[in-house]
Amino acid sequence: MSQSQTTTVMIVDDEEMVVGSIQSFLELDTEHAVLPFTSPFAALERLEAESVNVIVADFMMPEMDGVTFLTSARERRPEASRILLTGYADKQNAIRAINEAGLYQYLEKPWDNDALELVIRNAVERSVLFADLDARVAELERANAELSGFRERLIQAFR
Amino acid sequence: MTRPVDVDEPDVPGALHVETTTEAFINDAHLATLAKLIAGVAHELNTPLGAIHSNHDVIERALHKLRDILEDEVVTPDELRDVRRIVRAMDGVLKTNGIAVGRMVSLVESLGTFGRPDRAEVDLVDLHEGIDGTLAVLGHELKQITVERQYGDLPLVECHPNRLNQVFMNLIHNAVQAMDPGGRLTVSTRPDGDLVVIRIADTGKGIAPADIRRIFQPGFTTKERRVGMGLGLAISKQIIDHHGGTISAESTLGAGTTFTVRLPVKLPSSVGQ
Repeated sequence: MSQSQTTTVMIVDDEEMVVGSIQSFLELDTEHAVLPFTSPFAALERLEAESVNVIVADFMMPEMDGVTFLTSARERRPEASRILLTGYADKQNAIRAINEAGLYQYLEKPWDNDALELVIRNAVERSVLFADLDARVAELERANAELSGFRERLIQAFR
Repeated sequence: MTRPVDVDEPDVPGALHVETTTEAFINDAHLATLAKLIAGVAHELNTPLGAIHSNHDVIERALHKLRDILEDEVVTPDELRDVRRIVRAMDGVLKTNGIAVGRMVSLVESLGTFGRPDRAEVDLVDLHEGIDGTLAVLGHELKQITVERQYGDLPLVECHPNRLNQVFMNLIHNAVQAMDPGGRLTVSTRPDGDLVVIRIADTGKGIAPADIRRIFQPGFTTKERRVGMGLGLAISKQIIDHHGGTISAESTLGAGTTFTVRLPVKLPSSVGQ
């Protein structure tokens, strides 16, 4: 993955102190751009307009639970890696989310910054690889369409 | 642990044994309430502690970076950019630490009114303090529930405050357990002559008519049986009876349940101080 490319991490938690702490850490110690949100609805709106590499969402939020949020986020931005942040008691929900929201990873609160950094780094790489793969598939489809065009023209010319 | 006695059971042994078992179930109920309180406090502390724990680590990393920058006593433009980044991060840390510490201070204040061991056994109290303390301790369970407080102008009530808080804890915990996310908990209070009336209403799944007559019986529960289960309402009734009050429930299946507690403003003279 190219280091010059800006990668974006979205953090969604109704607790401002959680969003703020993760934001401070990522801004100090990594090169990722950070999009902090305390409202899952506002975060979904932003995802309509902008793609991100990684989404970190809390499970227990008043407006919408984290699994529902990440499932909606997946519909808007399937290429983004999704990480659920859970309290110990929410572990069963995290397991449910693995399938429902296509979860990449879950992290327990209180989180460890080294572990968070590692999970986010791998999640970013995964998302960049997916984006590359998508771009290559699109390129191949374009080339295939071009070849079909040539073939059609050749058939027409020799008819 | 002694198994709680269901008074409907025909095979209850002799009276002496029943008395011992009753004491045991009171102890179980106290333990169950204490367990809810501890779980609530642990959960409520987890978020601010998590933030402070992370911020502590960020401060350590920032200091390490600053020391590296200052080591050769020459600050390059790149290093100056890093210093600005560190200052931004420290601004964030300061702000979130402030929120986290504020949350913990208010939790400790709530606990202070909840179950002070040094508090007189019988005291003149503002019941709203106990209700608010209970709601604060159960905050993690209320995240996806709308809580409405409709507090009337209550006089100070002569009571055993720690025991009444146990009743609030049981009633509010049960109400929350009965509801799915999006439910509404309404806590209302009003004075009524020499009484005060406290109502705790949920929009949960309700209690079947066949069950509602039995809910105050020890050992009755519709939940999965664990230690202390099925004792909360029985012990609550006993505490309210002891205060010379009444507790009742109305419920509609699928619509919710309302518990109403009526308490005299003054303890009956028969109650030991």
